[in-house]
Amino acid sequence: MANTKFIKSEFFFEEDVRESVAEVPVDKHQPWPENEKLKVVGKEIPRIDGYDKTSGTALYTFDINLPHMAHAKILRSVWPHARIKSIDTTQAENLPGVLAVITHKNIPEIKWFEDSFLFDTKIRYEGEEIAGIAAETEEIAEKALKLIKIEVEELDFTVDPGQAMKETAPKIHEGGNIVGGNPFTYERGNFEEGIKNADAIIEETYSTQVVVHNPTEPHCSVANWDGDKLTVWDSTQAIFTVRGVVSRALNIPENNVRVIKKYMGGGFGSKLAGGKYTVIAALLAKKTGRPVRLTLDRREMNLAVGNRPDSVQSLKLGAKKDGTLTAMSHYAYGSSGAYQSGAGCSWPFRTVYQCPNVKVEEYTVYINAGPGRPFRAPGHVQGTFAMDSAIDLLAGRINMDPLEFRLKNYAEKDQVYNIPYTSKKLREAYEAGAKAIGWEKRNKQPGVGTGRYKTGIGMGTQIWWGGGGPPAYVTLKLNRDYSVEVLAGSQDLGTGTYTFVAQVASEVLEIPMERISVILGDTGVVPYGPPSGGSVTSPSISPAVRDAAEQMKQKLMKAAAAVLSLKENDLVYKNGTVSSKSDPSKSIFLSDIMGKINEPVLVTTGAREANPEGYMIQTFGAQFADVEVDTLTGKVRVKKIVAAHDIGRVLNRTLLENQFHGGIIQGIGFALMEERIIDGNTGKVLTTNLHDYKLPLITDMPEIEVIIVSEGDPMISNTGVKGIGEPAHIPTAAAIANAIFNATGVQIKSTPMTPDKVLMALSQNS
Amino acid sequence: MKSKDISRRKFIKNLGGGVIGAGVVLSHKPLKAEDQPAKDENKQNLARLNLTVNGKKVSLDIEPQTTLAQMLREKLKLTGTKVVCNHGECGACTVLLDGRPVYSCHMLALDAEGKEVITIEGLMEGEKLQPIQEAFVKHDGLQCGFCTPGQIMAAQGILNKNPRPDRLEIMEGMSGNICRCAAYPKILESAIAAAEKAE
Amino acid sequence: MKNFKYIPAESLEKASQKKDDSVLMAGGTDLLGMIKDDLLTPETVINLKSLKELKNIRYNAGKGLEIGALATITELAENSDVQKRFPVLVQTCKEIASPQLRNVGTVGGNLCQRPRCWYYRGEFNCLRKGGDTCFAVDGENKFHCVVGGGPCYIVHPSDLAVSLLALDASLEIFSNGKLKTVPIDDFFILPEQNETKENILEPGEIVTKIIVPEIPAGSKCAFIKFKERASWDFAVVSLGILLNTNGSTIKNGRIVFGGVAPRPWIDTALNTKLTGAATDEKNLKSLADSALLEAEPMSKNDYKIILVRNLLKQALIDLSKN
Repeated sequence: MANTKFIKSEFFFEEDVRESVAEVPVDKHQPWPENEKLKVVGKEIPRIDGYDKTSGTALYTFDINLPHMAHAKILRSVWPHARIKSIDTTQAENLPGVLAVITHKNIPEIKWFEDSFLFDTKIRYEGEEIAGIAAETEEIAEKALKLIKIEVEELDFTVDPGQAMKETAPKIHEGGNIVGGNPFTYERGNFEEGIKNADAIIEETYSTQVVVHNPTEPHCSVANWDGDKLTVWDSTQAIFTVRGVVSRALNIPENNVRVIKKYMGGGFGSKLAGGKYTVIAALLAKKTGRPVRLTLDRREMNLAVGNRPDSVQSLKLGAKKDGTLTAMSHYAYGSSGAYQSGAGCSWPFRTVYQCPNVKVEEYTVYINAGPGRPFRAPGHVQGTFAMDSAIDLLAGRINMDPLEFRLKNYAEKDQVYNIPYTSKKLREAYEAGAKAIGWEKRNKQPGVGTGRYKTGIGMGTQIWWGGGGPPAYVTLKLNRDYSVEVLAGSQDLGTGTYTFVAQVASEVLEIPMERISVILGDTGVVPYGPPSGGSVTSPSISPAVRDAAEQMKQKLMKAAAAVLSLKENDLVYKNGTVSSKSDPSKSIFLSDIMGKINEPVLVTTGAREANPEGYMIQTFGAQFADVEVDTLTGKVRVKKIVAAHDIGRVLNRTLLENQFHGGIIQGIGFALMEERIIDGNTGKVLTTNLHDYKLPLITDMPEIEVIIVSEGDPMISNTGVKGIGEPAHIPTAAAIANAIFNATGVQIKSTPMTPDKVLMALSQNS
Repeated sequence: MKSKDISRRKFIKNLGGGVIGAGVVLSHKPLKAEDQPAKDENKQNLARLNLTVNGKKVSLDIEPQTTLAQMLREKLKLTGTKVVCNHGECGACTVLLDGRPVYSCHMLALDAEGKEVITIEGLMEGEKLQPIQEAFVKHDGLQCGFCTPGQIMAAQGILNKNPRPDRLEIMEGMSGNICRCAAYPKILESAIAAAEKAE
Repeated sequence: MKNFKYIPAESLEKASQKKDDSVLMAGGTDLLGMIKDDLLTPETVINLKSLKELKNIRYNAGKGLEIGALATITELAENSDVQKRFPVLVQTCKEIASPQLRNVGTVGGNLCQRPRCWYYRGEFNCLRKGGDTCFAVDGENKFHCVVGGGPCYIVHPSDLAVSLLALDASLEIFSNGKLKTVPIDDFFILPEQNETKENILEPGEIVTKIIVPEIPAGSKCAFIKFKERASWDFAVVSLGILLNTNGSTIKNGRIVFGGVAPRPWIDTALNTKLTGAATDEKNLKSLADSALLEAEPMSKNDYKIILVRNLLKQALIDLSKN
């Protein structure tokens, strides 16, 4: 690696601020000009893995089939809360074809969440792991699951966070049901004072549901031991996290664990954590002496591998007649599931709009249900829905256009840390989005339309970090035949990482895309990079790729100088050829340089530079929804979404659009149809298949227009890229809710805004 | 309108029977004695299946409960066909059966007896993508790619029926395929492009 | 899935002599789900699809339409006679499940499919599975019935049942070696008759044919299905309507509701009011508002009554226009 130094760098991942000292390059590269002047970056380039994925040859973990491989299944609790008294696995073990059965009785204690173990004798949710079975076939393993006899003491349970917060609720952990024992609180200014100064005050409670990631590829692992060395193929967003989890669980050094993920069928946050299934597969592989594949089924995925926590949010907002926000308070609680996760959702509330007096109190609550995991912008989706619904209500109170209201309270700097942004083009996003949707066509008075179908237009504002940061490394290998391999410690979830990595390398080295291959997702091969979450991948990895490629270019120039006996500053690099500026007849192609210096492969390692100190990096955006409400049925049809965002530099317009489409349509799913439903009387999940858990289909998609108002942000990194995966998804539900409000004059305060809710709200209003 | 109170008598068949709640329902079902397989149960139960897969005649012995998707993936190692829901609810396993799209996860392989099955692998001409596949690459009709083989087979099924389908026909024809990444706009664009190219 | 033996049916007789641990399979789209979810644990699956004669769709002018029970939903929708003379059936078919399932699922299977209730399909020992309790009553009952329930509160999942009942169809059933014909209205039963099944079929009885009489001249038909998701979804509520209007009054008609009851539902009081009713908008509205007066909604499904009335109102107005 080139010259580096260690400095403090802040890094936002999902909801966490991670302050670290990071190794970063000393030399910064000149910022790139706008995309128009670039050759490869920013262009509409088909993804480089398109062939694999359309031909059926792309190999996912789900498809890995090793010689002599055994198949494993997990026995999961049918009880929401219980204590295991006894387990008898004799019958299961005797079933022909069964190779191994593991329970808490025959494996070492492996610590897992908080006060629990891999196989715990206390069951805290339906779907919790009790035993693992390896067999010749998956069917035999499934059959054997039913032969395990378990005696339990059933415990009272609670599956509603509001109820779980009460003193009388059954305790899921010794310390009570409030995660951390206390709420998260935040205060600036004087809320009470601010409310006193308000001309209009609204006070409303909004609620959002639990939704489940449901990526198409199941969570699955294939584990294979060679002596002490374990190789794990895992459908994961975070190879290094999985490696750490497995190594700690099995008490073996990290170099003995190799985690591989080439292709994966989506994650959306549910594959950011190391899974019990991976460790169970490894334990069974050890025990059977055979490779083991463990694949979860759809039911298990809806019970046990994460969800977006629900929320109940009580908001009180005050504004002056001229629209100035004077005070905002946010009291909220949401369910963590049976183990610790984050249900906090107040970040947008604290920071999107300028307001001097803000008060927040929020609780994350244990319930007897599957633990939450980050799901595409944790906290922000539910928080923005409530916040922007309330903003529209308040704007209506003072007869102000909701967009004008937002502009009136535009935050010029970060409201929490009181520091400037590296860049903020939200105003431009508001303007461009409003123009594209035809904001002036909205009902001046909500609900004034007549007839069966009422239409309306609404908007929501998006904020999210997405700036990435160190540590993130890339190794670049230049072959003498003018071809390149780029190795990055990242994973492509379907987001296009493979493609943009190649684009950045191609841009710098001026080597065609076809001659660049990208290797990701293999801890045995790639340098370290962050988990693929938090929209940090492109902002962290792309600058490291550029750094590695620029170093390679410099290396070639240096070598050429030596080979040609010229001064470095007299040389120029173009399309793989280094030539003299003063004497263009003197030039040498990189293959020849490498021949002269006897190097078949040149290697450089690039790193992500530090984020600037004293600045806040955020992505911004606004989405506008045009909806039609069928007043006879309560069915909402989203006709159009305009998404206008500031996300730094666009790396690939095609992939970017696709990401936005996905985020927006998932937003429609959250807004209108998806919901995990638990039966309160039994504590059991009812929505465990893809019919009862409704995901959007092609027939649910609206027209979508994506507008990017930003160019590269040079303060962040050498590529000026911010992330887009989460920003695309955050404001959709809020925009739809406000459009429904604008169409009908009725605000639906709870998601999903299903026809029954809308219809009942309309009928109560009429 | 107010919900009427429904008397409990009406839904509890047997008043002495039990209480509503976890206790009565939740137990790991013990397998009935007759469900416990004899040692060579599987062998006894093998059935012969003859069909054509991707243009090749295939003849094999399978357990009758084997789904078409299992047969393709596990016996023939055609792993391009994916299984996502295993309940006929998402379309990732879509293959063509005598030219029409079906969910291979949700039908018995034996029900394909004598029929012709085409999978994503069967669309290929050697290493060459077919127009429908090329359209998905060119128009980026995918993200993670896991549902893609099913999407492509559903699209091909539409084209088999009508080489020049309109937008609505395509939407209807693709409405049984979930893409969780929700690449739908570009999936539609890809299918439309393929339809426009079709002769 | 559980291991079973698979036998192609040799004849109706043989298939009907099945043992208790055998099940009959038509398209299999529902049956396989039942087996996968351990709701059925058959030793033998008898495949009826080998009985090719049960696949025919025949139209006889004056007599009407005969649909072989094993005709697929797609075959029904693509049949030219059906398209010409029974467009309401085509309309219904398009609303069923997804294209892939319509290519496999059969008309007979659609009528005989088991309920989608999440308690029934889940790990709940509910009434319909021989247990003691209907969990929907004080549970998650948004999709459950508002009328005709008790002690079990499912809704019948079939779309075709609703249209076919509106068209006054009959079913031909192979029973004890003979064929009998039963009006479709008599085919479906309520839980109060038997909470473990949805129709009159006894073990070994097989629906072989659906007979649809000619649509009376001058009558208009419609099938309206309301679902939460734009496609591949079961009905929240649905309507099958046959209406014969005579200028300003309804000569006769029939209205059937789906998604509101454990069987396709005929609101007798409402249907009685049809004959002679004036077709002015005001009257049609009050007619629609008199639907489901006997409904007893549960905690989370009273919206279904408004939904039915609203959709009926609109349908009656649309059908009364020329």
